[in-house]
Amino acid sequence: MSSSTLTPAGGAPAGEGEHTAQARGRVLPFPITGQEIVLIVVIVALWIALWLGTPAFLTGGSIVPLLVAMAPVALIGIGMTVIIITGGIDVSVASMVMVCAVVVAKAMVDSGISLPVAVLLSMVLGGVLGLVNGVLIAYGRVHAIIITFGTANLFKFVGLRVFGGSTVNGIPDTLDVFGRGAAGRTLGIPHSFLLMLVIAALAWYYLRHTPSGRHLYAIGGDADAARLAGVKVQRRVLSAYVLTGLLTGLAACFVIAQGTSTLAPNVGAGMELSAIAAVVIGGTSIMGGRGSVLGTVLGALLVQTVASGVTQLGWRSQLASLFIGIFILIAVGADLLRQRARRTA
Amino acid sequence: MRKTRTKIAAGLGLALALTVTACGEGSGGSASSGDSGGSGASGSGGGGDYTVAFVPKLQGIPYFEAMNSGGKAACEEIGCTWLYQGPVEADPAAQADIVRSYIQQGVDSLIVAPNDPDSMAPLLKQAADAGIKVATADTDAPNSVREVFVSQASTEGIGQALTDALLTAMGGKGKYAIVSCGQTAQNLNSWIDVQKAYTAQKYPDAEIVDIVYAGEDQAAATQMATDLMNAHPDLTGLVGECTSSAPGVAQAIRDAGKIAKVFSVGLGTPQSMAPYLSDGSSSASILWDVENLGYLTAWTGVQLADGKELQATNDVSDKITGVTFDPSSKVLLLGPPLTITKDNAGDYDY
Repeated sequence: MSSSTLTPAGGAPAGEGEHTAQARGRVLPFPITGQEIVLIVVIVALWIALWLGTPAFLTGGSIVPLLVAMAPVALIGIGMTVIIITGGIDVSVASMVMVCAVVVAKAMVDSGISLPVAVLLSMVLGGVLGLVNGVLIAYGRVHAIIITFGTANLFKFVGLRVFGGSTVNGIPDTLDVFGRGAAGRTLGIPHSFLLMLVIAALAWYYLRHTPSGRHLYAIGGDADAARLAGVKVQRRVLSAYVLTGLLTGLAACFVIAQGTSTLAPNVGAGMELSAIAAVVIGGTSIMGGRGSVLGTVLGALLVQTVASGVTQLGWRSQLASLFIGIFILIAVGADLLRQRARRTA
Repeated sequence: MRKTRTKIAAGLGLALALTVTACGEGSGGSASSGDSGGSGASGSGGGGDYTVAFVPKLQGIPYFEAMNSGGKAACEEIGCTWLYQGPVEADPAAQADIVRSYIQQGVDSLIVAPNDPDSMAPLLKQAADAGIKVATADTDAPNSVREVFVSQASTEGIGQALTDALLTAMGGKGKYAIVSCGQTAQNLNSWIDVQKAYTAQKYPDAEIVDIVYAGEDQAAATQMATDLMNAHPDLTGLVGECTSSAPGVAQAIRDAGKIAKVFSVGLGTPQSMAPYLSDGSSSASILWDVENLGYLTAWTGVQLADGKELQATNDVSDKITGVTFDPSSKVLLLGPPLTITKDNAGDYDY
């Protein structure tokens, strides 16, 4: 249609813009959700409050370590987001971090492997563990939480065997390029955070603008309907767990880099819950079918901001748990309200 | 659809709960060193093969593994069966499960390093009622029926040694902060109390500005130490109160490029502290001979099972002599603390 013949000049471009936005809106949601906007506002407000309330919150010496600390959680969270969108979950990621970290740390101590080999080894190992989860879940037809709960204990056993009842001592500085120290940043920007952001951007594009990315949402919305519509459900689900395994492998390298020169068997403990917390706070529905990695990255940033803020304000350490718990409940509550609104609408 | 989703949600909750409890049950390589052959009727085999069970706060960390090898060595020499098992995370509930299973096995002596002394007390009572000799080691449960507490060093000794080592590095004055671990850990809290009192009394120009709790998590300890340095730009000292936060605070100083501006001390194992002691991010590590503590623990278990009284001073082996016992507090004391510096860190293999 030629708008210039129908409407006077000036109104036309607006009208057309609205039309295309509407047409696109039917296929894709708005690029940023309400929850993500709220998160950005909350994080900005917290940063301003902490800037006013502490001597050095908004300095490189404080923000850089904060970004480094949240990077592995956000990275695992990206994979977890993809999985939760398909209606699944992976509670084995903490054990995967442990297995990857101990194998890579031992290889660095015993054979002095180089940086690329260490990263590759960790990601391949993570990918294999993710493949185990993926195959069992996609073809076993048992809910993901049961399968990954089982593999979490299995992986933990493997990891403890590699540890052999002791710590790994004298880890070399091969991975310091991902660390908190001077070697870990270029022009003040930490490499681990930057790499996580690039991966988040790729994941965002994949989920939003590729057919197979959209299929993941369809599977989470209604797997049977997706299958009838011709989506290769099993293959997509499998790929989500392999992707998470690869990202978890990379995250394990970040964890080694941030740690001390000693690796203890409790490495990674609780990371599955941190990652799920970031995903849920980010607005991804735990029931599947909706969510975005932007929210997850913001969620991870918020959690670390709260943890660091509580320490820098000199408040009691356990208050961080209280605040994060409240954030999770608010996020889940908001998700339930949205679902109810959608059903009645 | 609604139904399945509710089921999924319920499954999620259940599985998370299971994860929490199951964390403690990972099987380590060194779970036990033999079957409980000498179980049952205690005191029957005059000086014979008693079964001594030790439950650490968590297993797989070098500290308790060193205690384990000391205990094993003692049982080989004295002739007892040494059982060793702890949770994979410092979790009171998981630890309680292990204690219960040893009570059921009917070991002769049960020695625990409790994660939560208050919740451990009723279990120790249960063990004593079942005829098992109970004691604590490394960490005490003072309000329990335990017959002995095998102490690594006196509370005053540790707290004062930590304070002296740090304040020597800091030049006797300045602000410092403590990165502790479990918030309910009795031994850490009593050392901190001594540090507070002793600092106020001996170093009037020094001040403890904050005490934070990182759990047994190295990464959290490192990040908290970083946050503390930012919160207090004039901070010149950090204490890592346990074996995971001692290298953690040193790593934070190294990463922030503040070696020789901020000093740290901690309770770290020699091997994990060696790199930090050599670059100066850690000034000293205060500890005790952990293998000797394990040896003393096993020896005490046998003494209890055998019904022998502890003397005011005890010679335990040719290496461990003059171990004092205070009958009023029932504390058996290994000796004065050990100061580890870059010069002697290489002498220990844990």
